[in-house]
Amino acid sequence: MTMEQVWLLPAIPAGVFVILSLFNRVLPRRGDFVAVLGMGTVVVLAVLAIADFQGAFHDGHFAPAPGANTYEFTWVNIGDGVLRIMFSTYFDAITAVMVFVVSFVALMVFLFSIGYMHGEERYGWYFAVLSLFAGAMLLLVTTNSLIFLYLAWEGVGLTSYLLIGFYWERQSAAEAAKKAFITTRVGDVGFLIGIILLWRVAGTFDIQELIHLAEEGAFSETYLTVSMIFLFMGAVGKSAQFPLHVWLPDAMEGPTPVSALIHAATMVVAGVYLVARTLPIFDLVPIAQNFVLYTGLFTAVMAATQGLVANDIKRVLAYSTVSQLGFMFVALGLGSVTAAMFHLLTHAFFKSLLFLGSGSVIHATHQQEVEHLGGLWRKLPITTVTFSIGSLALAGIVPFAGFWSKDEILLEAFELNPFAYAVLAGTAALTALYTTRVVLLTFAGRPRDQHAYDHAHESGPIMLLPLVLLATLALGSGFVAFDGVGRALGFVGGIGQVVTSHGEPHSFAFHPNIAVPATVLALLAIGAGFEYWGGNAIRAERARQWAPELHALLVNRYYMDNLYQAFIDRVVLGLAGIVARFEKSVVNESGVDGGAQTLNWMGFRLKFLQTGRIPNYALGMALGVLVLSIFALGGGE
Amino acid sequence: MLTLFLMLPIAGALTLLLLPEDQRIKPRVIALVYSGLAFAVSVLVFALFDPAREGYQFVQRFTWIDASSAGFTVQYALGVDGLSAPLVLLTGLLSLAAVLVSWNIELRPRAYFAMLLLLEASVAGVFTSLDLIQFFFFWELELLPMYLLISIWGSGRKEYSAMKFLLYTIGGSALMAVGFLLIGLSAGTFDIAVLARTPDAELILPGALVFWMIMAAFLVKLPVFPVHTWLPDAHTDAPTAVSVMLAGVLLKMGGYGIMRIPVSLLPEQAHTFATLLATIAGFSVVYGAIITLQQRDLKRLIAYSSVSHMGYVLLGVAALTPVSMSGAALQMFTHGTITGLLFIMVGLVYDRAHTRQIADFGGLMHHVPFIGVFMLVAGMASLGLPTLSGFVAELTVFLGSWDAHPIATAFAVFGVVLAAGYILWMMQRVFFGPPSTRWASMPDATAWWERTAVLGMAASIVVVGVYPAVVTRVIEAGIEPIAAIVGAA
Repeated sequence: MTMEQVWLLPAIPAGVFVILSLFNRVLPRRGDFVAVLGMGTVVVLAVLAIADFQGAFHDGHFAPAPGANTYEFTWVNIGDGVLRIMFSTYFDAITAVMVFVVSFVALMVFLFSIGYMHGEERYGWYFAVLSLFAGAMLLLVTTNSLIFLYLAWEGVGLTSYLLIGFYWERQSAAEAAKKAFITTRVGDVGFLIGIILLWRVAGTFDIQELIHLAEEGAFSETYLTVSMIFLFMGAVGKSAQFPLHVWLPDAMEGPTPVSALIHAATMVVAGVYLVARTLPIFDLVPIAQNFVLYTGLFTAVMAATQGLVANDIKRVLAYSTVSQLGFMFVALGLGSVTAAMFHLLTHAFFKSLLFLGSGSVIHATHQQEVEHLGGLWRKLPITTVTFSIGSLALAGIVPFAGFWSKDEILLEAFELNPFAYAVLAGTAALTALYTTRVVLLTFAGRPRDQHAYDHAHESGPIMLLPLVLLATLALGSGFVAFDGVGRALGFVGGIGQVVTSHGEPHSFAFHPNIAVPATVLALLAIGAGFEYWGGNAIRAERARQWAPELHALLVNRYYMDNLYQAFIDRVVLGLAGIVARFEKSVVNESGVDGGAQTLNWMGFRLKFLQTGRIPNYALGMALGVLVLSIFALGGGE
Repeated sequence: MLTLFLMLPIAGALTLLLLPEDQRIKPRVIALVYSGLAFAVSVLVFALFDPAREGYQFVQRFTWIDASSAGFTVQYALGVDGLSAPLVLLTGLLSLAAVLVSWNIELRPRAYFAMLLLLEASVAGVFTSLDLIQFFFFWELELLPMYLLISIWGSGRKEYSAMKFLLYTIGGSALMAVGFLLIGLSAGTFDIAVLARTPDAELILPGALVFWMIMAAFLVKLPVFPVHTWLPDAHTDAPTAVSVMLAGVLLKMGGYGIMRIPVSLLPEQAHTFATLLATIAGFSVVYGAIITLQQRDLKRLIAYSSVSHMGYVLLGVAALTPVSMSGAALQMFTHGTITGLLFIMVGLVYDRAHTRQIADFGGLMHHVPFIGVFMLVAGMASLGLPTLSGFVAELTVFLGSWDAHPIATAFAVFGVVLAAGYILWMMQRVFFGPPSTRWASMPDATAWWERTAVLGMAASIVVVGVYPAVVTRVIEAGIEPIAAIVGAA
């Protein structure tokens, strides 16, 4: 498996989808083992491809043989090459991170799902769609063509729609699926317009070529700024950033392992990936790049505040995801692809761990409102420990993975944009606070729903294994930044040599003046969390009563969903109603039927001229002769 | 070969009408055989078409009406190029599907299938004619079976809808006939291939007038705002197979005609009015889509979505670039299969439920999963999901049209959000949600003819979506000469 054969990675799960969607009813176990074997193969191949990638470094420079990291063929060729769409792949450090994250987390989720989805009526279909998702996601991160990126982009959108709506007999699930698809599609229109704008000047969809052309000045700066902001709209939709973030909390209607894979670790980071992939172009247009930065910054704070009050354990995690994605966009807005990708990597592990952990809780109790949980640490010890590890990583406590990657982002912000640094540091404290709240309400204290508690039991080994493996990574994946660990993994000179930004190797470093305040802040927030929600949570109750309006504002998601719903109901459908009435009464009844009736009426009136009386006709003829004579005489003069 | 394609359905229609009432061979079997053979021929035409060769292929000509003393002759002249070859295939495919979904027609099946085959023959004639008079002959011939099929085998206000359809089309084609005569008599020939060699030739009347006379007929057929209102009515009241033919192939006669005749023969006028046409197109896309959002009847919903989607065709044509026109031609093919499938699926639901009101349904996915899944496939194709055929066509239109008409194209791109809205809204209301007691006993589509028609159409959507080059390599060969004419004007 070389970098050139990376097209195999999406092809395998896509093949699994075809097999499972056609034959899942005749295969033993509905074919779940086919999906798992397929995904396992992909993980192995991804690791081999990364090994091949490491071998392409010579003297610290990424220097593959020409064409060795691409594979391409012509897909469509119209107008004698004017519109040539190539299928092409590309492999670099960003691809390496993405293929590993996607395939590994997917495998964990597949394994977990065997236990979690056991006995579901559409068990085979579930694995089919999940495989299709993995295929589309792997295509998304390996292709070098914007068109195929868009194609895969819509493909993951489709599978997300199908999986959010997996329990389509529930109206709320069907509604959430539709909302997710349409909201992201609003962003996708921008993405598509961005692609069109870039293509009409450059004449290519090849991302590397576009970067090259942009750097050579093929576009004017204003034009490029507009194009990249359009392109970024796609990322805003897919990565659930303000103002298109509203679909992600609702997407929690899907099965929990789906939330772990699609709505935490992989699909929602597609937007981050897109910006990271095109970051050399964003570097050229500061306005667009600042747009990315402030969108991410605002979203990070906004979502974190909503995470403080949400009651559904999965929704807390969803808001947290939106907020953490905001962190990554801030890093990108600051120009640091390394910090963003590093956080993407660790976040994928600890957030999918948290989701699977919440899945274990829901599986055990059939309850996902934190106000009805509590005291579960006695019943679910392994889930409690792994969930806590994930929480510590999310809260950014040393030495868990999230600490190291968040530290990188804070460092970039500290050096480049103090305002962003201050906001992010505050948000990080909020993160620690809401994380503590969820852990305490779920696992500590006394059970608030005795029935659910009594029936709870720890999940089986097939579900615990992914939890333990992901917990290991949530604990340890931050260490890859250390040169020694990087070397041990086979990266000559450490990971920093591989991940380059602006052509320079990145040097990860520990900065006490960033790390110490951040840690102290996070620990204080955790302390505050214990103070408020520990024990019988009286202080939290008092805080809620102290500012009910604020609480209502947060619980109602700043009324943004209501605003959008009102916009759709009143403005869009209202306009549609007006247009439909216009169509019915003006265009159709007055214009068409009315026209016909007018003709009919004229025919009716005119028929009275046919009186059948000779004198009338004679009079008519005489008048005719008279008129013609006048014309004839007039012409003669 | 093309004569065979044309004559097989006519022979089938005659067989059906002339054969005595025979209980042993059912009319549907005869219709299936003839339309099956015609489909096989259309596949051959498409497969044997050589994109590398210039000009029309499979050409057959002889003089039909010799009036050389009056300065012109009318020929029987058939041929296909890259523009018409995919439409020939589409006609063969959809006609076969139309026969299959009509399998259980009980009211006068002999006459019904005869009309359906006559309809196929007339559409085939339009797509293969190389002579203006002959083109017009087939164009008008199509009215007879359509009128009868809607007014006899339709439902609801069928007479009103059939008459509306007839009047609209005749109104347009009367003007078209005058336009054709003006062109033909000015040039001394009605041969389209010959006329295309001398574009913008001297005419007796102003070129703009002739251009709009001809365009009128095609814009009605396409249709675009404001001459579209016959379409929803005709669709709503037509039987399923007729809706399939109407949306699938008849509308394409409009788009095909525009590219073949006014654009190819009067390219200068096409340039003059391109912005106006693009404006109409962009408006049609959004107008059609917004009205679709308000539809409560499944068939009207798809009918209005067709108005929106045919706007993409006009937009692609109006941009007059090789890429945009290829996109328009591809959009005609893909819309034919996608909307054809949508109408088949709605027909299957209507056959079982005897209602098409969206509010009457819910949770159908429990009871008729086969219908539900393929409705979803067709719907996803309709909203332009990549790897299904609609996406490439729309993308090509957008890419090709942006430079010429950025604002109209931006409106058209926005149409894909509205498309997602109305398709997914419909899916949610009709197929998702808790099981319904009212429809608990609804049988799924299990009959072989239903499944063959559905799977065949779905397969064509997937194949073209995954590897569009199977169609675009042919289309490109047809668009290139037209683009050359337009580019020179």
